[in-house]
Amino acid sequence: MATLTPTLTLTSTDATTDQLSFSVTDSLSVTAPHIGLAKISVSTTGANNIIQPATDGQTYYVYVKHTGVDGSGSTVTTTLNIELTGDVIIGKLAAGEFMFMPVGGHSLGVQLQASSGTVVAEYAYFTKA
Amino acid sequence: MATTTATLNLSSDMLSSPINITASSILMKAGVTEGLELIEMGRGTIAEADGSKTAEFGLPTALGADKAAKLFLVNKATDPTYYIDIDLHDTNIGRLYAGDWMFIPWGMNDTASELVIEAEPSGATCPYEFVLLQEPQTLVAHS
Repeated sequence: MATLTPTLTLTSTDATTDQLSFSVTDSLSVTAPHIGLAKISVSTTGANNIIQPATDGQTYYVYVKHTGVDGSGSTVTTTLNIELTGDVIIGKLAAGEFMFMPVGGHSLGVQLQASSGTVVAEYAYFTKA
Repeated sequence: MATTTATLNLSSDMLSSPINITASSILMKAGVTEGLELIEMGRGTIAEADGSKTAEFGLPTALGADKAAKLFLVNKATDPTYYIDIDLHDTNIGRLYAGDWMFIPWGMNDTASELVIEAEPSGATCPYEFVLLQEPQTLVAHS
């Protein structure tokens, strides 16, 4: 068993007149299997871009980042859908954005889908011990 | 323009060589280079006895269609067996165990994209905190 330490920081000096400064961390017990860090050129068919297998009840901690480039390396501004298998859209990442979340307790996986063309994504997942 | 920067660091001792991943981005409105300006934050408590509840933050409607939003949600329970089950409408996403958190893009497109939360197992009570960053929604005329 190993430890995964995620830390998120949100900062802004001008979103509000009072500065926003927020940081949170956690200590997660994780085990195999894990994927980290991988890259995928995501197409417009989510079912072809499954990055995390069906959970079969366990929990996975999933990280995804939109790299801002397509499969040829050109800069793109198209969005990247984060979906559960079966085309259930959770949300969209714009170029450069990322997400981190637990997925599990059910029988669905995670898939990615480009809004058009291709989008290169980086991802990792860790299995909750 | 508001500039809010989110930074995530993941580190682990799972392998003999340490894993260290860092990502940082400025949170933008959809399709433009303007920052998200609306920040909603707060806390609440949900008990297992409450059953499944629509989270009272965000409350997506058609006004949020194709707009950007980011949600941070943390389970502040201290009992490691207590978790918050999170559904997107009627599809289960996953569980936040005590102390765990998530940071996700949230497609707040319509009322069917609401988050539904439920404390588990039997007898559990889970305090939670959230930060929702989103675009201001266009107000509609008074009817």
